[in-house]
Amino acid sequence: MAEVKVLVLTGYGLNCDHETAYAFTRAGASAHRVHINALIDGEARLEDYQILVFIGGFGWGDDHGAGVIQAVRLKTYLGERLVEFVAKGRLVLGICNGFQALVNVGLLPGFDGDYHTRSVALISNACGNFRNQWVCLQVNPDSPCVFTRGIDRADFPVRHGEGRLYADEAVIQRLTRANQVVLRYALADGSPAAGRFPHNPNGAVGDIAGICDPTGRVFGLMPHPEAFNDWTNHPDWTRERECLRRSGQPLEPGETVGVRLLKNGVDYMRAA
Amino acid sequence: MAARLEISLKEHLVDPEGEGIRKKAKAYFGIETSRIRTVHILTIDAALSAPQLAAVQTGIFTNPVTQLSSYQPLAIVADWVIWVGYRPGVRDNPGATAVEAIEDLLGIRLGAGEAVYTSRRYAVSGSGLTRVQIEAIGGELLANEIIQQWRVYSREEWDPAAGIGIVIPRVRLDHTAAVAHIPCDSDEVLSRISRERNLALNPNDIPVIRAYFSDPRVRASRAALGLSDPTDVELEYVSQARSDHCNHNTFRGLFRYRDLATGTSEIVDNLFKTCIEAPTLELAQRKPWVVSVLWDNAGAGRLDDDTYYVITGETHNSPSNMEAYGGAITGIVGVYRDPLGTGKGSKLVMGGWGFCVGHRDYVGPLKPRLHPRRLLDGVIEGVRDGGNKSGIPTAFGQVLFHPGYMGKCLVFVTAVGIMPARIQGRPAEEKRTHPGDLVVMCGGRVGKDGIHGVTASSEVFSEHTPAGHVQIGDPYTQKKMHDFLLEARDEGLIQYITDNGGGGLSSSVGESARFSNGAEVDLARVPLKYEGLDPWEIWVSESQERMTVAIRAEDAERFMALSRRHAVESTVIGRYTDSGKLHLTHAGKTCAWVDMDFLASGFPQWEFDAEWTPPERRGRLEPVLSPPADVGRLLADMLARPNICSTEWITRQYDHEVQGTSVIKPLVGADRDVASDAAVLRPVLGSRRGLAFAQALLPAYSAIDAYAMTACGIDEAVRRVLAVGGDLDHIGGVDNFCWPNIQYHPAANPDGKFKAAQLVRACWALKDICLAYGIPLLSGKDSMYVDGHLAGRYGETHKVSAPETMQFAAISVVPDIGRCTSMDVKEPGDLVYVIGVTRNELGGSEYYAHHGYVGLNVPQVRAAEFIPAYRALGRAVEAGIAASIHGVYRGGLGVHLALAAMGGNRGIRADLRRVPAEGAARVDTLLFSESPGRLIVTVAPAGRSEFESLFQGLACARIGEVTAEPVLQATGLDGRTLVSAAVSDLKAAWKRPFGDLV
Repeated sequence: MAEVKVLVLTGYGLNCDHETAYAFTRAGASAHRVHINALIDGEARLEDYQILVFIGGFGWGDDHGAGVIQAVRLKTYLGERLVEFVAKGRLVLGICNGFQALVNVGLLPGFDGDYHTRSVALISNACGNFRNQWVCLQVNPDSPCVFTRGIDRADFPVRHGEGRLYADEAVIQRLTRANQVVLRYALADGSPAAGRFPHNPNGAVGDIAGICDPTGRVFGLMPHPEAFNDWTNHPDWTRERECLRRSGQPLEPGETVGVRLLKNGVDYMRAA
Repeated sequence: MAARLEISLKEHLVDPEGEGIRKKAKAYFGIETSRIRTVHILTIDAALSAPQLAAVQTGIFTNPVTQLSSYQPLAIVADWVIWVGYRPGVRDNPGATAVEAIEDLLGIRLGAGEAVYTSRRYAVSGSGLTRVQIEAIGGELLANEIIQQWRVYSREEWDPAAGIGIVIPRVRLDHTAAVAHIPCDSDEVLSRISRERNLALNPNDIPVIRAYFSDPRVRASRAALGLSDPTDVELEYVSQARSDHCNHNTFRGLFRYRDLATGTSEIVDNLFKTCIEAPTLELAQRKPWVVSVLWDNAGAGRLDDDTYYVITGETHNSPSNMEAYGGAITGIVGVYRDPLGTGKGSKLVMGGWGFCVGHRDYVGPLKPRLHPRRLLDGVIEGVRDGGNKSGIPTAFGQVLFHPGYMGKCLVFVTAVGIMPARIQGRPAEEKRTHPGDLVVMCGGRVGKDGIHGVTASSEVFSEHTPAGHVQIGDPYTQKKMHDFLLEARDEGLIQYITDNGGGGLSSSVGESARFSNGAEVDLARVPLKYEGLDPWEIWVSESQERMTVAIRAEDAERFMALSRRHAVESTVIGRYTDSGKLHLTHAGKTCAWVDMDFLASGFPQWEFDAEWTPPERRGRLEPVLSPPADVGRLLADMLARPNICSTEWITRQYDHEVQGTSVIKPLVGADRDVASDAAVLRPVLGSRRGLAFAQALLPAYSAIDAYAMTACGIDEAVRRVLAVGGDLDHIGGVDNFCWPNIQYHPAANPDGKFKAAQLVRACWALKDICLAYGIPLLSGKDSMYVDGHLAGRYGETHKVSAPETMQFAAISVVPDIGRCTSMDVKEPGDLVYVIGVTRNELGGSEYYAHHGYVGLNVPQVRAAEFIPAYRALGRAVEAGIAASIHGVYRGGLGVHLALAAMGGNRGIRADLRRVPAEGAARVDTLLFSESPGRLIVTVAPAGRSEFESLFQGLACARIGEVTAEPVLQATGLDGRTLVSAAVSDLKAAWKRPFGDLV
């Protein structure tokens, strides 16, 4: 099988590098943690990778808006190389702080092939504070997003203070119409959260938790799929185990939906 | 020419920060405002051109989707304006990252002295708001004068063109660095200088210091370098090293312990050696998993053959008491440097927290510097930002309210890390400096921050305590350094590493130089935040986010290259020698020349009188109280007590899942809202081995006997880790003592001898219980002056002392995380068991406190009785037959049955007549006694015989079953229904006190 190489960008206060690399490894990829400066000074070459991941964390402390300074550095030093990477058919994934960076770079929403304009923002949670909780997500089956193929629902944790997706009404409508809305916060039964806290943990417009570009190859989301890299990550796992034990089923479940989401990306690149 | 950029959210967007302030103004002070908008201000004190200013405005600091900005004051309609900015020299983290971003975008470097300063302007609207009200919001909600300056403008006073003006809080010292030579011709002179310079030298140490500097041989060797009398650098060095904080003089003291009831007395020589070191060394012999204890920044245990874990605990009480946010963030970021500086360096994998504060709704006459509510808000946020921005899961913690913490709050922070067992084939836990190795300082720069922090925390907090030791931690700078140093470690570049915490370089270089037996440091090479620091200040400054590293000269090039890659500042400031001397220079001149062994010998031991009066002799009695009739209401009220109720709002602010290692979270259950007994994580992704971690503290028991406080705290921590699947044969402990002053003084500390006896007894309990359970103390900490003097109603002050407190942290290895168990009951029909005996042990209980009593019968730990039950529980866990396990802690069986039911959103039907009990034939005793050694376990009916056979002959009884109908029902001793309460009502009561907080 062809090797799929994943570049996990690290440094400057980003902090989900180990588990993101690990989860991609579980998804069958060869994942590499690479410092932003190694990419800038040429020690690592973007062209050698098929998937680029902007990870969670607090780049530059998130002091001037989450993901803002990371985006400045990326735009300043990598600029068009990022756009070319996308143009070559490769994948870009932004998780949490990485999603915030993607919208600030302008790689999302990428309307009409414009990968520079900032038209979506992720702002302070409506509840007024940082929040760590698991959320239920409903996947838009009509989205072109390559990462969510075959997945209809997912539980992941959110861990952010600035995750409230906001954009002008016209932008939201366009995202919706083009099925660029990939994930929405939902109730446990999959019905819309409809803005209700804490199901929608941050007050995101339209319960939007993740969006992609029109190609479906650039994907950003606030929840953390990499934090569901093992069945024991799920908050209900000890309860599920009791059900399994009593029904005589084996206790070791298969792949988590977190790994599956990443694997979709890896499989896509392997086939490409 | 400075420019001031104002940034705010577009008008139509809700401002969550402003809304948060509005809510607090209403809830805390009853002040009604109609609207508060926040304006973020960047004062750019740098020579930027107009196009450059425009570029950073649009390119960095303004989000076109959501924000407006202007170099002129933004026109925001308001009745009042409050402006808050930092004082000069206070760490401004956003200001520093703004500089980085500007430099990046413009491709320039700002010049020396150029900087960006952040501040905030709040535009407040509301009808009839008065200046007094606005000043309350400004002074008691938004700004703390210790670190911030603030101003209020009425609508009339506000000049829309000038705004706040240009405020540049740049540090200007206008001081030329100099070394002072201090005459010490007599003890009196040295005492006076110690007072004047705030050295806090112990009077007993002064003759020893004088003798050293008067020794003809010492003087001769100093004369060769042009030195005679000691320099200020040297005296500051000695002062730091001899402080109680660094040297643990109290724990190493001599105690004359007398029991006033029996008249017996004994000498206890050195609590540290007898109660901590000796038992830990003994246990380390028996426990092959103990890797490294009692010498390094953190103790180490074996997770598996390839990986060690390290753990340590700290407190940051005095600074948090003055500036809650700054103190707490500095505390947690600071404790994270301890594992980083353990062995050749450890990766941080988990943090824990513990806050002890006055009651949140305190309305009495005492005036603490910060109201407990504000203080708690601040410490919560400090740990939040410090932990979250470090990328380390904050996985477990607790808050405890008690009026005694109004004098000084407690902020406990615990850190866990991991290291590979070997680095480039060499043991990772070992480190040493060698002659010729370079002394490198990494991370932040040095300013006046925290000077005399160590000596201040060794003193009772008074109005004269210097405020300058309050700092604001910078997790961003430290995270970069953490990532860098671990890469350097893996390349084998690190010979020795330690952090700069208390005492700064004086401590880190002083201690690391013991291995090589000497060091030379040029203090002029130390990078400074601003000019004008004296050499002694450079030497003892506690500026944060710094590590001291020893590297071989041949590794310097690679080390520095890696440092640059990670955007971390590293500077060679000297080299290690084997000269036997600590040799410091500044501007080419020697400013300190001290024998390495001077601090290790000859200083007198501290001495204390300790007098124990047993509780019954102090008038402690059991209250005369009949059993209650309305048990349902009582239980709901117990659940709503501040030390029992839900504190979910704190836990949710803390990222407890970063690193993807979470196995048992701090909140569990069907609704994920009930506190777990402990946290479990799998620190090595891909391995099935886990670490279980919990903490406990029971200061209420100190009102009766600190021995019981300590013993029960340890037992609780042990049960907590066992409940989630920990292994009794592998539990490491961290003791963290916070004690009021124990030095007797007839007027100032009349009960000092009693508090000293309490300390001795607590240490005895520590030794006894740790030996009984086989718990080596992997790390520990003591903070000895938890007292404050609070202003009262009439201009008088009251001394308020904290209850004698020891927080105990337990860490255990879980062989297979697949066996971990949570506390929530699972399926209807499951059998409910209680393990352990309930006794008449209500003394110091939450139940008595609810009625305003203390009582006498404080709970006792019976280790020999408990251990077989803990072993049986371990076998049940291994067999996978425990569906849920939950310890019985504060509040007793009634409270904890309710919590287990609430966790599962199920009911429990229980018969109190079946509860294993001795001398506890009353329903209130059965429901609320806090006897240790007990757990609640639920088991599927299919597992009944296996479970019961494991507990054959032990105190364990099936008291009922889990029901589908979510009702907690208990049958009383008369066979009639004693209580029947809807679990949802109980949960509502339990969430009521803090349920509205986010």
